[in-house]
Amino acid sequence: MMVEVDHLTKCYPRKKAVDNVSFAVDSGEIVGFLGPNGAGKTTTMRMLSGYIPASGGSIRIAGIDVLRNSLAARRKIGYLPENVPLYNELRVDEFLRFKAHLKGVPPRQCRKHVERVKELCGLSREGRRIIGQLSKGFRQRVGLADALLHSPELLILDEPTIGLDPSQIRSVRELIKELAKHHTIILSTHILPEVEITCQRVLIIHEGRIAASDTPANLRAAIQGGTRILVELHAPREQAGGLLANLPHVREVKSDQREAWTHYELECATDVDLRQNVFELAVREGWKLRELSIKKTSLEEAFIRLTTGEPENREPSMDSYEV
Amino acid sequence: MRAFYALWKKELQGYFLSPIAYVVLMFFLLLMGVSLWFLVDMLSGGMIAGGVMQTLFGESIFFWVAMLIAIPVITMRLLAEEVKLGTMEGLLTAPVADHTVVLAKYAGALSFFVCMWLPTAAYGFIIRYFDPDATVDIGPMFTAYLGTLLIGACYVALGLLASSLTRNQVVAAVMCFALVGISFFAGFIPYVAANPSVRHLSAYFSPVIHMMDFSRGVIDTRPLILYLTTTLALLFAAIQVVESGKWK
Repeated sequence: MMVEVDHLTKCYPRKKAVDNVSFAVDSGEIVGFLGPNGAGKTTTMRMLSGYIPASGGSIRIAGIDVLRNSLAARRKIGYLPENVPLYNELRVDEFLRFKAHLKGVPPRQCRKHVERVKELCGLSREGRRIIGQLSKGFRQRVGLADALLHSPELLILDEPTIGLDPSQIRSVRELIKELAKHHTIILSTHILPEVEITCQRVLIIHEGRIAASDTPANLRAAIQGGTRILVELHAPREQAGGLLANLPHVREVKSDQREAWTHYELECATDVDLRQNVFELAVREGWKLRELSIKKTSLEEAFIRLTTGEPENREPSMDSYEV
Repeated sequence: MRAFYALWKKELQGYFLSPIAYVVLMFFLLLMGVSLWFLVDMLSGGMIAGGVMQTLFGESIFFWVAMLIAIPVITMRLLAEEVKLGTMEGLLTAPVADHTVVLAKYAGALSFFVCMWLPTAAYGFIIRYFDPDATVDIGPMFTAYLGTLLIGACYVALGLLASSLTRNQVVAAVMCFALVGISFFAGFIPYVAANPSVRHLSAYFSPVIHMMDFSRGVIDTRPLILYLTTTLALLFAAIQVVESGKWK
C-alpha cells in the first residue's frame, strides 16, 4: 500500500478543515480528490506532503509515518502545490538544479535528472528562459518537473490544471497519464471531467469528510441507477404518467406540461434502456411522441447530489409520480 | 550538507540577481568612503587622537548608520518573501530539515554582509600608502573586523527573526530597523544615565562601547560570548517561528 491515511483530522481555531478521514491508495493508482472549494482537499494534501501536521490520526507513505519520520517520507513524495511556487528571478535550469541539490540528487546525476524531467514535461527548449517570463502553462510544467526530480514513488498534485487554457489542460492531462505508468498519483481538482478522464478512483470530499469513494463509473451508477429517459408526449397527462411509472425498472416519473405537450423524465432503478418500451407504449395508447432520448447521469450530477443533497437543475414546476 | 550548500548558494546568488545587492553596496561604500574621506582629512590636519581603526569603526557615526540601514535591507526578504510567494511550501516539503533552511538563509545573508565589508579592508592599506606615518596596525584592524562580524552576525540574526514573523518585507525591515536602532541608542545609556549601577550594567550591553574596544585592539571575552549567545538564541527563535508556523 503506497498511502495509508487513518482517521486524519485537522482543526483550525474556528473550523474543522478535515474530519476523521481514512483512505488508502495502492501503488500505481491514480486517485482524484474531488470537492468544492474549501472542502479540505488542499489541507489533506498539505498533510500528506508533510507541510502541515495533522491534529489527529496518522499518515503512512510507503509504510513511513509522515509526522514521525518526515524527512524519509518526503523523499518518497513529489509535491506540486496549488499556486506552483517558483523563483521568478531564476532560469528554468538554475531552478531545477537548485531543487535537485535540495532533494538530495547526487551531484553527478543532477544534470541527467534535470534533462530527464525537462524532456518529460516538454521543457527541453526552455532551460535558459527566466521563470518570471514563462506563461502559466509552462510554469505549471516547471512545477511538475520539480516534483518529479528525485523520482518519487508518490506524486501529490494539487489542482494541476487550474488556470490553464484548454490545450494546456489537455497536454497536462496527457502528461499525468504518462506519469501514471511509473508513479502513484493523488491529484485534486474541482473540475469534474478531469477526474473522469484521468483517475481510476475518486474520493469526493465535502466539508472535510469523504462523501464517497469509488471508480468514476461506479460512482455515477451508485448515485442514480444509471439512466434517465426523456419523453415528450401529446397525451392525457395523468394517465400517461401513471402508465409510464408502471414500466419495469422505473423508479420515478417527473412530468412538466408544455402547452399541449407533456415532458416526462423517467428515472430508472438499473442501468437499462427503456426507450423501446416507451415507444411501444405510445403506439399502443395512440399517443403522439416527439422526443425520446436517454441521458446518463454525469459524475457532475453525482457530485452535486453528494455535496449538496440536491439533484442538479431540478425544475420546480415538475410533478413527480413515486413508484 | 549538500542541501545547506545549495540553499546558501541560492540565497547569496539571490542578492546579486536582484537590485538589492547593488543598491546596498553602493550606499554602503558611499558612506564608508565619506568616512574614509573624513579620516584622511583629519589625518592631514593632525587632528587624530586615537588609532585609524577607532576613527573608522568605533567612533564613526557612518559605521552605525550603515549598519542601521544595510542590515534591515539585507534581511527583510529572507523568510518573509518565501512565505509570501508560497515558495516556503516547496522548501519545507523537500527532504530538508526546517532548521537547515533557516540556517542556510542566515549563512547566505551573513555572507553577503561579509562581502559588503570586504572592499573596506583596502582602506587601511590605502592610508598606509599615502601616509606611511599613520598608525594602521594589523592587530586593531583584525579585532575591528572581528567586532564588526560579531555585531553584524547578531543583527543579521535579529533581522532573520523579524523576517520570520511576518510575510510583509516592509514590516520585517521596519521591525529590524527599530530593534537595531534601540540596541544602538541604548548603547549610549552608559554615557547619560545618572544612576551608577544602571551606567555600570548597561555598559555590558552597549554595542557602541564594545565596538570602541574592538577597534582599539581589545578582545574582551564578555562581548564575544554576549554576541555569540544572542545570535544563537535569535537563530533558535527564528527556527521555532518557522516550525510553529506549520502548526497554526
